[in-house]
Amino acid sequence: MFRFAPYVLKCLWRHRTRTGLTVSGTAVALFVFCVVTAVQEGLDRLTHSAGAERTLVVFQENQFCPANSRLPEDYAPAIARLPGVRDVVPVGVFTNNCRASLDMVVFQGFPSQQLRAARPLELLSGSFGQFEQQPDAALVGRAVARRRQIGAGDPFTVGGVTVAIVGVFASEAPAEENFIYTHLDFLQRAPGRNAVGVVTQLEVQLAEHADPDTTATAIDDHFRHGPVATTTRPQGVFQREVVADLAETIGFAQWLGYACLGLVFSLIAATTVMAVQDRIKEHALLQTLGLRPLRVFGLVMAESLLQSLAGGLLGIAAGLLLLSWWGFSIGTEGVAIALQPSLRLAVWGGSVSAGVGLLAGLAPGYQAARTEIVPALRQA
Amino acid sequence: MPLIEIKNLTRQFTKGGETLTPLDAVNLTIEPRDFISLMGPSGTGKSTLLNLLVGIDRPTSGQIVVHGTDITRLSRARLADWRAAHIGYIFQTHHLIPVLTAYENVELPLLLLPLPAAERRKRVEIALEAVELTDRADHYPRQLSGGQEQRVGIARAIVTNPTLVVADEPTGDLDPRTAAQILKLIQRLNVELEMTLFVVTHDPQVAAVAARRLHLDEGRLIEAPGADPVPA
Ligand SMILES: Nc1ncnc2c1ncn2[C@@H]1O[C@H](COP(=O)(O)OP(=O)(O)OP(=O)(O)O)[C@@H](O)[C@H]1O
Ligand SMILES: [Mg+2]
Repeated sequence: MFRFAPYVLKCLWRHRTRTGLTVSGTAVALFVFCVVTAVQEGLDRLTHSAGAERTLVVFQENQFCPANSRLPEDYAPAIARLPGVRDVVPVGVFTNNCRASLDMVVFQGFPSQQLRAARPLELLSGSFGQFEQQPDAALVGRAVARRRQIGAGDPFTVGGVTVAIVGVFASEAPAEENFIYTHLDFLQRAPGRNAVGVVTQLEVQLAEHADPDTTATAIDDHFRHGPVATTTRPQGVFQREVVADLAETIGFAQWLGYACLGLVFSLIAATTVMAVQDRIKEHALLQTLGLRPLRVFGLVMAESLLQSLAGGLLGIAAGLLLLSWWGFSIGTEGVAIALQPSLRLAVWGGSVSAGVGLLAGLAPGYQAARTEIVPALRQA
Repeated sequence: MPLIEIKNLTRQFTKGGETLTPLDAVNLTIEPRDFISLMGPSGTGKSTLLNLLVGIDRPTSGQIVVHGTDITRLSRARLADWRAAHIGYIFQTHHLIPVLTAYENVELPLLLLPLPAAERRKRVEIALEAVELTDRADHYPRQLSGGQEQRVGIARAIVTNPTLVVADEPTGDLDPRTAAQILKLIQRLNVELEMTLFVVTHDPQVAAVAARRLHLDEGRLIEAPGADPVPA
């Protein structure tokens, strides 16, 4: 079959305007598909991450926005004494924007000694030592640093809170890279926050065999009649509920992504049908020379596949580049969905464009293979 | 043993309830190295006979036995393989592939045979030399004259060294001088390369050089009695 590769390529090259338009249309569609899929992937990653099951988040009852959840910090030692609990970290969360946003800034304040244990961060610059010594120090995630163009040594102010950046970190969980970590007491004392002794949430690490739901119920029961009632959920569930509205939109966007594939199908199929109809005589000639019908079918499929692959790979490459340069994230109520390039995305996009190309080639390929030789040759 | 035996070959077309029978129980035997010309009024079925002979059309009834195989019973795919190995087809209008050079057009039928690249190259060069187009190998069809295109078409038809070379009005589209050149070339295929030729034509000069002259009329094939061909 490869012996005919030059022929296929030359046919595509001959109609380069048509081929170019088809390829660029496919590229645009696959670009959109890639970005939309990245959002969906980010969402899945968020709700199914490693810690999603074994970490509980304690929040003020009926609240989702970090600005509205105010729990006494001394809930932490109380929870630590409950069965099934291995560790409790009080966390202050401060965000510039509780609504859905493409540029959400989230501060998470940790007790100085507990950040390293609670968050597996890999420092790209700066040091934990400096962070621990300096009260207003902050470590920023790679994605925020990129988006806001800030780095170690810069001051950074959002919503009246000013921190001194002492390092940039990367994390295995891409969503983390959208956060800025500070000291809890610094965040509590920040001007206008009025939050001394108050935290936004408590993160509970479960003991090895503890059941998440039982423990969560135990925590909520414990504080039912306390000064502030709580709602405790596994982290995955919590995040899923926070982004629920957004998830609906994302689900809808995913359909738009599939619609893009439909578009690619029509585009490639139309071009290939045209190419076949232009060359009815040529295909009859090839059969006269001794090409089996199946081979003619294969040639048409190859043409279709090459166009969709070329467009698909271009679009996906553009999408992945954009995602990796920009460090996009979609955030709401202090939870970030990170848009990440990934090998999986590349492979998936590549296979999808190949699949669509093959599907689009079926009908025209069949048409070409079924050409009645004599009538086709007789055509003027 | 004859090369090809056509037995009781009938081809009918039905169009709008009317049945047309251009070939009505035709019989013909072709021996190796025969040079056969076929003449007859327009629309009598000459092309139809030729197309049946190379297996791109199916008869209504009858047999075409080549080397002991009845090709009318082969599947489309097997028939394609058979054509690749045994048939060279020279068209009235050359039917070259516009995106391929003269060289690549001639090489095309060889791609279907299990030949190494070096052997293909050798054969293409020999075929192009036979039609005196070695210096035009890299030209595209649009860069060639009508006569040159036809010669490329001939090179493509002979490059596989086929059992049978057929031509359907090979000089029909050419001016008299070019037609004479092409005719010489076709004659050489038979005399020097010892190829078996079956040529459909309206041109008495073409018919005159053939050793066997057939005439098709009213569905019947008539062979002119042993007139000697005009010497090359
Ligand atoms: N697919 C078809 N359907 C109906 N009739 C057909 C078909 N193909 C050929 N015919 C008819 O069969 C007859 C023979 O056609 P054919 O092309 O073989 O003639 P020909 O002898 O080659 O003519 P010419 O010298 O003009 O090329 C014609 O009357 C033609 O109209
Ligand atoms: Mg004819």
